[in-house]
Amino acid sequence: MTAPAAAVPREPSLARDLIALTKPRIISLLLLTTLAPMFVAGTPSWATILWTGIGGYLMAGGANAVNMYLDRDIDHVMARTKLRPIPSGRMAARAVLAFGIAIATAATWLLGHFVNVLTAALALSGFYFYVFVYTRWLKRTTPQNIVLGGAAGAFPPLVGWAAVTGRVDLASLYLFLIIFYWTPPHFWALALLKQRDYGKAGVPMAPNIWGEHETIDQMLWYTLLLIGLSALPVTFGVFGMFYFVSAIVLGGILLEGVWRIRRLAARGESWIPVAWKVYKYSLLYLALLFVAMAIDRHI
Amino acid sequence: MPLPVVLWLSIALVAVSQVMILRSTVRAMRAAESEQARRGIEWAYAVVPVIVLLLVLVATWQASQEHALRLGLEASANQSVAP
Repeated sequence: MTAPAAAVPREPSLARDLIALTKPRIISLLLLTTLAPMFVAGTPSWATILWTGIGGYLMAGGANAVNMYLDRDIDHVMARTKLRPIPSGRMAARAVLAFGIAIATAATWLLGHFVNVLTAALALSGFYFYVFVYTRWLKRTTPQNIVLGGAAGAFPPLVGWAAVTGRVDLASLYLFLIIFYWTPPHFWALALLKQRDYGKAGVPMAPNIWGEHETIDQMLWYTLLLIGLSALPVTFGVFGMFYFVSAIVLGGILLEGVWRIRRLAARGESWIPVAWKVYKYSLLYLALLFVAMAIDRHI
Repeated sequence: MPLPVVLWLSIALVAVSQVMILRSTVRAMRAAESEQARRGIEWAYAVVPVIVLLLVLVATWQASQEHALRLGLEASANQSVAP
């Protein structure tokens, strides 16, 4: 009898490590929040979609690789990150830095050459914001690190919008703000679950500094703010009824999850399974909200 | 639901939530017993998004007024065309 295939660990390879440096699972959501706004902004050509997608992947991948270089002193401490190519000793730190800068440079050229200069500038701003403002400055100095740092992850819709229209306007700012205000409830759900890890690494995440109660309270208020904010583009004609109903229903489900964490925490009961569900659902929430935006504009 | 109702309900929800976030941040800063200078920086971090949000809300109000005017003009044009 043979052992099940799933039990055999995959052998590490350079190609697999290079892909891992770009954090492909995280980028899939970033790509969705880049590409969906393109269909909200207009009817993009296949070439624009292709080059924006490739450029967006490379830029975000470059930022993630440079982030792994800068965090190499703490990645080996946390269970979540200790298997990354640098802490596990499979790749040299300088090689990771060079790879990150190289693909981000390639992304800037591709976007500037095949899409437009504004798109390249916005994508590069996202790279700099993530590397210097979030990773280098905020991450290890303030419990509000992911609040302001959330702006780094909010650049993709601006990139997608600019790729189609060549400008940034109020509607695109809303897409930016939706991701900005989605980040705290999303990331703090994970931070609540990984408090010990962040504590060991000395990263001042909100649950470690403010405590669970205050963090959960803020998750609730950020979720309410997000629901109100996501409804506002309807009022100046960017979206219609399909999007409005989707935003309220999807936001309502997220709110119910956060509310359940708060209720369980107040009673002193375990909220861990619910926090996991909220973390996973928040990913689905953002994906479905952006899909709803694209559908709404074309029905 | 009429658009002005959506507008003002959403703005109220956003405003109340933002005030509660600021209150919670101040409470958390006090409880963390951080030094005065650190508190000032944390306060600045909390206020920056509020300023951006205020600007966006003002722009939203203006855009919604223009949108309402446009809808009104379209409706009156349709009425004048109808037999």
